[in-house]
Amino acid sequence: MIPVNYLDLLRLAAPETVVLAGALVVLGVDLLALREVETGLRRLLLLILGAVTCGAAIAWMAAFPNLGNFMQGMLVVTPLTQWVKGGVLALAILTLLLSGGASFTNHWGEYVALLLLSAVGLMFLVSSESLLVIFIALELASLSLYILAAFHHDAPESAEAALKYFLFGSVSAGFMLFGLSLLYGLSGSIDLREIAAALGGPFLDPLLAVAMVTVAVGLGFKIAAAPFHLWAPDVYQAAPPPSAAFIASASKLASFFVLAKVLSVGMGGLEGRAVFGDYLPGWVPLLAALAAASLLWGNLAAIVQTNVRRLIAYSAIAHAGYMLLGIMGGKAGLPALVYYAMTYGFTTLGAFGVASLVRDRVGGDNLSDFAGLSRREPWMAFCMLVFMLSLAGIPPLAGFFGKFYLFAAALKTSSLDLLWLVILAIGMSAVSLYYYLQVLKQIYVVPPPSGLAAAPIPSLPKTVIILAALTVIVLGCAPNLLLRVLAAP
Amino acid sequence: MKLEILPWLILFLPLVAAGWITLFTLRNQKLSVGLSIGAVVTGFVLSVLFVAVNPLTPAPQELSLNWLSIGEFQVQFGLRLDPLSLLMMLVVTGVAGVIHIYSWGYMRGDRGISRYFACLSLFTFSMLGIVLANNFLQLFIFWELVGVSSYLLIGFWYEKPAAADAGKKAFITNRLGDFGFILGILTVWAALGSLNFGVLAEKLGANREALGGAATLAGLLIFCGAVGKSAQFPLHVWLPDAMEGPTPVSALIHAATMVAAGVYMLCRVFFLLNAGALEIIAWIGGFTALISALMAIQQNDIKRILAYSTLSQLGYMVMAVGLHGPTPAMFHLTTHAFFKALLFLGAGSVIIACHHEQDIWKMGGLGRKMPVTFWTFLAGTLALAGVWPLSGFFSKDAILAEAFERHHYALFALGVMVALLTTFYMFRLVFVVFFRPARAEPAGHAVESPQVMLWPLRILATLSIVGGVISLDHYYRLQFEPAAVGAALSWTAQLTHPFAHAPVPAAFGLAAALAGFACAWLLYRRADVDPLPARLGPVARAMRDRFYFDELYQATVIRAHDFIATIADWADRWLIAGLVVRGTHGTTELIGRALRLVQTGNLQTYAFLFALGVAFVLWWVLG
Repeated sequence: MIPVNYLDLLRLAAPETVVLAGALVVLGVDLLALREVETGLRRLLLLILGAVTCGAAIAWMAAFPNLGNFMQGMLVVTPLTQWVKGGVLALAILTLLLSGGASFTNHWGEYVALLLLSAVGLMFLVSSESLLVIFIALELASLSLYILAAFHHDAPESAEAALKYFLFGSVSAGFMLFGLSLLYGLSGSIDLREIAAALGGPFLDPLLAVAMVTVAVGLGFKIAAAPFHLWAPDVYQAAPPPSAAFIASASKLASFFVLAKVLSVGMGGLEGRAVFGDYLPGWVPLLAALAAASLLWGNLAAIVQTNVRRLIAYSAIAHAGYMLLGIMGGKAGLPALVYYAMTYGFTTLGAFGVASLVRDRVGGDNLSDFAGLSRREPWMAFCMLVFMLSLAGIPPLAGFFGKFYLFAAALKTSSLDLLWLVILAIGMSAVSLYYYLQVLKQIYVVPPPSGLAAAPIPSLPKTVIILAALTVIVLGCAPNLLLRVLAAP
Repeated sequence: MKLEILPWLILFLPLVAAGWITLFTLRNQKLSVGLSIGAVVTGFVLSVLFVAVNPLTPAPQELSLNWLSIGEFQVQFGLRLDPLSLLMMLVVTGVAGVIHIYSWGYMRGDRGISRYFACLSLFTFSMLGIVLANNFLQLFIFWELVGVSSYLLIGFWYEKPAAADAGKKAFITNRLGDFGFILGILTVWAALGSLNFGVLAEKLGANREALGGAATLAGLLIFCGAVGKSAQFPLHVWLPDAMEGPTPVSALIHAATMVAAGVYMLCRVFFLLNAGALEIIAWIGGFTALISALMAIQQNDIKRILAYSTLSQLGYMVMAVGLHGPTPAMFHLTTHAFFKALLFLGAGSVIIACHHEQDIWKMGGLGRKMPVTFWTFLAGTLALAGVWPLSGFFSKDAILAEAFERHHYALFALGVMVALLTTFYMFRLVFVVFFRPARAEPAGHAVESPQVMLWPLRILATLSIVGGVISLDHYYRLQFEPAAVGAALSWTAQLTHPFAHAPVPAAFGLAAALAGFACAWLLYRRADVDPLPARLGPVARAMRDRFYFDELYQATVIRAHDFIATIADWADRWLIAGLVVRGTHGTTELIGRALRLVQTGNLQTYAFLFALGVAFVLWWVLG
């Protein structure tokens, strides 16, 4: 029995504790003090309380940068994990503020609390190197997200999508648990570093291959990589927009980070090789296959979509393919991956925000509902332009530099082994421009339908969207602002 | 370095003004004008303050931050502060400030005045960026920004086809030069592995031969950039056409700043240029100076005369650089910025008074009606002609002395010849416009311009008169010859310095000015029609038609280009758009539709596919 120093634990897990306490406070306040308050005000107060909680956690991390490794990988806090957690919290704040003005539920206390809980799960996911904690954190985050996806109380599609998400999630969690237990059985440890040491050299045991594949399946589901992406279009389209935005941004950021960690730390030495036509089994060819499938499937299927949120879902699948390249870039690719996942998070969150505003105004978020947006809402149209072009990877927006650094990292570490995949990714980027421009064509070229009553749009979501667009522009013009701190040792 | 924040502020204030005007105040003209003028005038005040607290020293200072890092390759965004950039910063903000104020009067009542000032601010920002850049890449970015903003300004009256064409011509001609420029930058980077001016200077200082066999090539490729921007032969054709822009624009970008950027850049990277490259540069400069002075003699549009004069003076500066004399080049650039801006603004005042008439043969007698414009214009003319003790005399003399001391007598003779021609065409202009009775109706009713336009003239006239004796050359020498620099001379000593130091070039310069004036006096004092075409015949016609360069380019370059464009159009229409794009689009769309069928929404299908996916991945890894 190792003696546990609870003070150390508290010091390292302080930000998570703050958010957790915030979630409980939100529930308590909602129950005790806000029952009689009118819905709009109640929603505003609770959302702000949630946002303040996340802000407090960020401030705590900035003020007391406690780093360390608690109980052999149970909790590993490094500057990089701090930044990723900061990113998760920032995305949580934006998601919360994006919900201001939404009317899909009356249970705002539960909504905010669940969002905070899933943020806690994602934060633990980021800062643990122990199989057990990773799994528990993953479940905490996932269960909260399933409920968040079902939060649209009077839309049966929302419930249906959530159910699909849940069933898929539990199956892949099962796969993942299976893989984790195999890993434990093969190495006798749950700490990723010890596992790597125990597994040793480049030889790939069939049992180990099964473990590798099942873990990749479990996390491949979270990051919506093909062919484990089937839930994504349904959920992105039918879940309440802020929930979908959170699933697409923060959850993806943390999941990518943990996938990179599990593979590059826990299975360092088992990379294999993915030269075209000359494979050596390992996790790099595995990811290469997933990436190629995601790039092709996501980009090609996105072309024929008529619903914008579904289109974003397919583009998300494609982006999972790009980001997998960063994992294959190994340790050097990690800053590029985090930069990409963060900026992608802001972009897609903003895009969901615009889609949700259009839906509230026009009654739908099909492509045709965006017609003439530039004339009704020039600012929102401009933000959507920024988001779409950034997703397509047009300089000087963040998406361009994100892709650039990912590709550079993938090519550099693998000494051109992955050239075929990078070429595929670049080609597919060109394809993706087609459907992103379809959205912009509707917004800027097609005239608006007549007889649309003017209605003011709520200022809180508008601010969030503009903020997200600004982030995308600033991080695109000065990528070193973020990359420098991410790459710092 | 004290007050390090100031250079950043000076650089970015105009950008903020441009952005703010474009986004928010296009409809509020007063506010737009105020913002734009405020930004540049504040920039000038801050520049003065900065130079006052940080005396000029030969040691360069850098303020920089890492902008991009791509592997080993670091791109900085930095400011290089040395006598060269600081003086240039003062000149740019000062002259631009005066011209901004003048524009307020000149453009009054124009519908697009907010847009005009937004472009003007953008231009000022880009120009300051060139001046302060500490590396080639940043310089190139701002170089292109200058190109874009000059395009916007030249084509400001875009509803006039001539203006729109001139904008395009300027932009495209510049791009031609920039192509060589970027190749030169890449050559330097490939050979030396850095783009930072300080690092490059150090590397070349340690080993003169570091560039190896590529030295001359790199120098000439970089010079290509200057050929475009500073309108040297054979890319000089855009500048006269650019006179289609509003006159203050001509004053700002085609006299004082943009065209000076090429010369400035050559001086900035002077350490890179070897003797072989410099020889060619000197000859191109001298040739440009001569042919454009000849063309200026037979122009009848007041602004075009000044435009050719600008070309000719730029040729002078480039020639000075080529003669291993960046100090005289920068000296002449600075004094030229004062008096040429003055002349353009004076011409603008005349044009406004004559209701946008620009033909000098339809003017006349304006000297009495517009006294301030006349006297300031005369001051500018005398300065440009190089009459002692005005600024132009000292800077021109420095260039002639450089040629003389280097025993480059051919270029020396050419320089004296150009000086003669300069005085001749400028006094032709002065006699025809300001003396004799009015030759057309509008000139008869001309009245003096408002004070907002006259004060800039007075300020610039003062600078043109005293610019030669305020130690400018001393400060530039700090940059280029720190070892040889002595104490600054008093202004009285500077007045007589050229005669004591190099009497022969000074005497030749003054004699040339006198001869030019005498010819103009004889021919144009009483002329109501131009006597030259009758006397010179086809030669005069060739000068008027600019030696047929435009026609030559039309017949060769543009014809060839149109031919290639036709082929490209066909290929684009049928091969690329037809076969490749339609084909790819059809295929991808088909695949997309097929993939869509998979997404049935049915959970059983999904589960089946999921299991299939797992099986496939397992097979992939194990097999």
